Amino acid sequence: MAAPLQLYCWRGDHGLPSVDADCLTVLAYAKFAGAPLKVHKITNPWRSPTGILPALKTREEGSFSQPSKIIIQLRKQKYNADYDLSAKECADTLAFVSLLEEKLLPALIYTHWVDAKNYVDVTRRWYAENIPFPLNFLLPNRIHGRQLERLRLVRGDPTLEPGEQLEKELYHDALECMTLLSQRLGSQKFFFGDSPSSLDAYVFGHLAPLLKIKLPNGKLQQHLNSLDNLRQFCTNILVLYFPSESREAPAKKVSNHADGGDFDNEPHKRRNQILSVLFAVGAMLGYAFLSGIITIKHTPARLEEPHVDEEEEEED
Amino acid sequence: DSLLGEVLVVELNTAEPWPENATLYQPLREDQILLSDCASSLAVQAYLRMCGLPVRVCCRANAEYMSPSGKVPFIHVGNQVVSELGPIVQFTKAKGHSLSDGLDDVQRAEMKAYMELVNNMLLTAELYIQWCDDTTSSEITRPRYSSPYSWPLNHILAYQKQWEVRRKMNAIGWAGKTLEQVYEDVSQCCQALSQRLGTQPYFFNKQPTELDALVFGHLFTILTTRLTSDELSEKIKSYSNLLSFCRRIEQTYFEESGCFSGD
Repeated sequence: MAAPLQLYCWRGDHGLPSVDADCLTVLAYAKFAGAPLKVHKITNPWRSPTGILPALKTREEGSFSQPSKIIIQLRKQKYNADYDLSAKECADTLAFVSLLEEKLLPALIYTHWVDAKNYVDVTRRWYAENIPFPLNFLLPNRIHGRQLERLRLVRGDPTLEPGEQLEKELYHDALECMTLLSQRLGSQKFFFGDSPSSLDAYVFGHLAPLLKIKLPNGKLQQHLNSLDNLRQFCTNILVLYFPSESREAPAKKVSNHADGGDFDNEPHKRRNQILSVLFAVGAMLGYAFLSGIITIKHTPARLEEPHVDEEEEEED
Repeated sequence: DSLLGEVLVVELNTAEPWPENATLYQPLREDQILLSDCASSLAVQAYLRMCGLPVRVCCRANAEYMSPSGKVPFIHVGNQVVSELGPIVQFTKAKGHSLSDGLDDVQRAEMKAYMELVNNMLLTAELYIQWCDDTTSSEITRPRYSSPYSWPLNHILAYQKQWEVRRKMNAIGWAGKTLEQVYEDVSQCCQALSQRLGTQPYFFNKQPTELDALVFGHLFTILTTRLTSDELSEKIKSYSNLLSFCRRIEQTYFEESGCFSGD
């Protein structure tokens, strides 16, 4: 019996099991490989065992982050979705994952985190609404800064600024990459035949947020929507492997964020609310007593009322 | 507006044939050029030779600063300056020379994917070994990189470049890797390339493409460059079809010049 594996990842929305590409990759791979994971969907990366999301916690070997390391660890535990692949297909997997990381990922980072309109209207709003106080003031901007820095380092240009020229170059590469993926997929159900593998997980993880999260500046989305087989590929995986999320999608938008699901922080949230109200009331009462606004006078019981009045006046 | 500009550029390019005085610029071969730059330069030279386009190799100490993108090598053709293999391939394509026209869509997708595999794993591993491994960095890389300059500029430039590369490694998640893990990644990359090549003469059977040029550039340079340890070249030598691939391209396209690699 395998040791229980726990996976910490970002919460889902818009019909996705998670809003983050890396988390989606790992979740999809786990489903494909049939790994029994206990999934913790959280919105506070500091609560993850490694400090970043996604994170896999094993009983004996510690915790891992980064999708490639997590997949290697799952394979070590005998959950291997690539078992049936030939050597050439394994080589193709490495090649296409590199293609994704070099050509598509920078454009995805740009469109979600750097493009001004998208970042302010959609990404930052989602993270600010969902991350608990007070991190929701710090984290979105910090992630934004880190992603811009990453783009600068990868392109080798320290003075890079978000703008039309950069957008044109990044999107050109990304559109070409998506077209190439579409050509490679052809009319097959998955990239290597009828059963999904790690490459399908990576492609799904990167494309699904683009498909489902509506962005104001949506050039990449339009191109993806025009590639029917890729769109079908993503919706297929969502329907087959994450049916609960895709069914909840219309209802989720209306419901309150605090409701539903198996969110670990919900009992804590309620407890925190009650405690904070009690603390506030206690603080107010304490201040009132100390400054004399309210006083409790302990007067001994008197039989005659007129005497009480006289004595009270004397005490004042 | 820019679309019109692009159309004009393409028309100008196709109008002019490839001139005789096309030049390729790279850092100084004997003392300065590093493994990763030498590999990139060799890949471009191999590609141009495969296309049958003559080019003169010119070594300059400040090639990196002359380049429009900051990366070497770059070619100076007519009044155009283009750097890095990707843009150079597109540039020659606009002039009517292309090696990958005969490929169908799936093959082209695979070619681009394998080129990115080389860039993502092999080139990054070379950069890691050069700049993030303390032994190699202090014994080979920094002295070579700063050799054309006098004190104190040589120290400043070398450390600045090292700091920049280490930050990049950090950003893409390679900073936590050990040297053994990097060698393992190189081995995986070579295994994938070896698998794809199989027993064919080139990656897409009879005709070489830009992928062959890129793979040749990197593998040949690793095989012929002396580093602090031989482990990197040993990893490649364990795949015999890759070795014969490199030898074949060297004999076919570089036979007139016996030694041209940086050492």
